[in-house]
Amino acid sequence: MSYLKKDIDRIAAAEKEWKQNILDKRVSRFNLPKSPTVFYSPVAVKNSEFLEKVGFPGQYPFTSGNNPFDFWRAYAEDAAKMGYRPDWGGAGGVGKYGGFGTAEDYRDYLIRMHAMGRVGGPNMAFDLVTQCGYDSDSENAEGEVGRVGVAIDSFKDFATIYEPYTGDMDIDKVPSNFTINAPAAVIIAMYAMLAEKRGIPFEKLRGTPQNDILKEFIARGTYIFPPKPSLRLFRDTCTFCTRRMPKLNINSMGGYHIREAGATRVQDLAFSMANAAAYIDAGIKGGLAVDSFAPKFTFNAFGGSMEIYQEIAFQRAARRIYARMLKERFGAENPRSMMIRQPITAHIGCSSTTLQRPLNNLTRAVVGGMAAGMSGGMPGVFPPYDEPLGLGHSQEAVQLQIDATRILIYEAKVADVNDPWAGSYFMESLTDEIEAHAMKEIEKIENMGGAVAAIENGYMQKAVSKSAYERQKQIERQEVFVVGVNSFDGDNEINVSVHREVEATYDPELLKTAEDRQIQKLKKLKWERDGKAVVSALAVLKSHAKDESYNLMFDICECVKNDVTLQEICDVLRDIFGEFQQTKL
Amino acid sequence: MDQDKKIRILVAKPGLDGHERGAHVVAYGLRDAGFEVIYTGLRQTTKQIVNTAIQEDVDVVGLSILSGAHLSLTRKVIDGLKAEGAADIQVIVGGIVPDEDVPLLKDMGVGEVFTAGTPVSAISDYIKNSVSPN
Repeated sequence: MSYLKKDIDRIAAAEKEWKQNILDKRVSRFNLPKSPTVFYSPVAVKNSEFLEKVGFPGQYPFTSGNNPFDFWRAYAEDAAKMGYRPDWGGAGGVGKYGGFGTAEDYRDYLIRMHAMGRVGGPNMAFDLVTQCGYDSDSENAEGEVGRVGVAIDSFKDFATIYEPYTGDMDIDKVPSNFTINAPAAVIIAMYAMLAEKRGIPFEKLRGTPQNDILKEFIARGTYIFPPKPSLRLFRDTCTFCTRRMPKLNINSMGGYHIREAGATRVQDLAFSMANAAAYIDAGIKGGLAVDSFAPKFTFNAFGGSMEIYQEIAFQRAARRIYARMLKERFGAENPRSMMIRQPITAHIGCSSTTLQRPLNNLTRAVVGGMAAGMSGGMPGVFPPYDEPLGLGHSQEAVQLQIDATRILIYEAKVADVNDPWAGSYFMESLTDEIEAHAMKEIEKIENMGGAVAAIENGYMQKAVSKSAYERQKQIERQEVFVVGVNSFDGDNEINVSVHREVEATYDPELLKTAEDRQIQKLKKLKWERDGKAVVSALAVLKSHAKDESYNLMFDICECVKNDVTLQEICDVLRDIFGEFQQTKL
Repeated sequence: MDQDKKIRILVAKPGLDGHERGAHVVAYGLRDAGFEVIYTGLRQTTKQIVNTAIQEDVDVVGLSILSGAHLSLTRKVIDGLKAEGAADIQVIVGGIVPDEDVPLLKDMGVGEVFTAGTPVSAISDYIKNSVSPN
């Protein structure tokens, strides 16, 4: 793909001639202001140094992929022969993401799953009460306890969930996932204290806390403290995990959430890279060498649109930006520090799906699967087509989703080639373009003082909501088209419906009583625990919270061990750190 | 619409759910359509929403709910407004609402329910046609 200058000049001259003689004539024949299509020649690729910009899969700058093939691809044929069905497992040895009700409810559910052979470590969703740092008896908790995940008020709740995880499934053998951000330090402390109670060395613990608080300010909204003290808590978890739990992933950062909140592709890339830089900085300021912790950073997902070419280029640009940032800016030497480790690559967003003629969402999700398969990931078709119906996924939709992924892997063989677009004038040029735009935006954020400053001054939040509104206006003005929503919705179209059966995952009767039961349990705990130990553990936490040089993980572990509740811990920190006040629109 | 007095709308997010893309987009859109829009921000209790609606003297409360708790949260807001003698404030709901819940919400007294894919112009037209500034 490298051309000599004289060749490029010759091609550029020919391109100019082609534009005049062919393209412009056609554009004026159809009476258009400009051409609706683009053709890329070698001229588009300004600097085409293959080794510097693309490289081989598994080599810096990782544009063509982290590996020549992943675990799933190594054994794909075996998986087909044994009829492996992935719908009850998460990535890397954890079970299906879930959680509801009280710790007892979720524990019993896990026991039933295990009896059906659906093993794997717990992959916990927490209720919003827990995510926002409240206990089940808080005024803010009313109606929300155990709703979108399991309620955790104390170490006892946490330990209850793990009752079925013993023997072959003990916590030194299976990993755990915790989708928790603002109170991540408390949940990590609970995990450590569970190991201590069981006599298991911390060093053997595996798993992944989401622990990505910065994106909560920009997108998901489950923040508690302002960004600066939040990042201090991140630093404390990062140094604690690196020194004491070296097998635990430190975080699972998300750009996808930011995109779903309305960010453009470039904003998504720039903001998540700026967030990552802030976390790396925090680890380094905490006294760690970059290569001691960066290999334990992960990303959960990146992507979120139907524009297949752009999403492929996005993945390539993201890998290159991250690798260069780690190497050039932070001085990493270990290649594993430089990789974007994520379970999947591209996919469409849930916001790409439509309530109108929902079966079309299967077609949409397949496009996302193609983008993933062509950008170094499993061609995962996501989400199930009935996602926007809001009733939970039906078994039929999940079957079609799994089969679609299988069809892309086995029949279409989408994932048999690494980075199939490498060397394409178009794709290399688009990758450069997305990278350049994102770098400009990253620079802007760095000039403000980095991600924390750009959240404190509301820049990122405002940018995302403005982009969301801009997108909505484009849809309403028909500048972009969404089939069945702002176009092709006339009387000639028919609605296509299919039979759906939604499995009630969680017992609705238990959900009704979860709040009461959780509150009763909390009352009992507060009555029975050693009140003096609680007061003294909180007092130590409070005094250390005032001094930024302390790592609060040790004090939080002490609190957890003494049955101090999650909200009590968070309240003490609220007193010292304050609470985040979101920027006004 | 009365030229001097604009219709005032409170866009509100009850509960702890933090997905506010819809609320932001609708707030921007209604503001650009000429309404006076107040956005509560996240984590509002239904009581806080009722109080804000009364203090701000709004004509419409738009609840954005994606958590599945639309029936109980909406009922609390409507009952709260009634209890405060503000039943004239119209409540509309947006978010993820299954088809079968729409008549239940309307029976409660909700003016209209707007689900995914609704243009903001449809919400704005609805308000213009069914509400006059107080």
